[in-house]
Amino acid sequence: MMFTRFTDRSRKSVEAALEEARMLGHDSLGDEDLLLGILRVDEGLAAEALASLGVTLEDAREESEEMLSEALSSIGISLEEVRREAGDAFEMRIPEGRRIPFSPRAKKALVEARRRMRRMGDNHFGTEHVLLGILHTEDGAAVSMLARMGIAPETLEERLFELRGRAAS
Amino acid sequence: MNEKTRTRVGGPEDPRKGLEAVVALRRTLEALEAAQVENAFMAGWSWARIAEVLGVSKQAVHKKHAGRIRAKYPGRPPGRKGRER
Repeated sequence: MMFTRFTDRSRKSVEAALEEARMLGHDSLGDEDLLLGILRVDEGLAAEALASLGVTLEDAREESEEMLSEALSSIGISLEEVRREAGDAFEMRIPEGRRIPFSPRAKKALVEARRRMRRMGDNHFGTEHVLLGILHTEDGAAVSMLARMGIAPETLEERLFELRGRAAS
Repeated sequence: MNEKTRTRVGGPEDPRKGLEAVVALRRTLEALEAAQVENAFMAGWSWARIAEVLGVSKQAVHKKHAGRIRAKYPGRPPGRKGRER
């Protein structure tokens, strides 16, 4: 992935996203994992905006698991029963040795983030750009996840620019 | 015709939901395989026997699971006592 001009924070948040994806059993790193990464690092404008709207890492992880569970239910499979049947050895976590590639949507989100960075006249690639990229990813899982937590993308974006304006003045 | 096909397979009407179910199932399948291979190994099954029941080569099972399971139980000898063949 193109890591140029990343701030320390945004680079850390992408690394954290990879760890979140691994933990949750996501065999590719999705746009929702980028969101989880921002929450996990908990530094920077994006994290601040999310926190101010009451979005926590724990809630976001739970939503992600819930979305998986609901997708399975839609085809008649109970994750709980699978878990029970398999016993303690069952965990969604992806083993350490296995590589987790970026999903096409995560790539699109980062490309969009970079476009926004340029449009905003910034020359550092921060967590706020990553978040904007995520929010403007069509069909994105992060946006669905936020919607389930009662957060509209516009509200979050507005808050982000508010905090940015405050930080600049 | 589309409408009918969708109703017949009984899946969710929304294609996106249908595809998301596939992803969820794939991820769950991976986790379930890992767990059941571990369970069998800890119950003393050989890689060969596990592979046979899974319908894949012994090499394939070993390559995919041995490292993870050994790392999870360091120092513990492989559960081979109950080996039956």
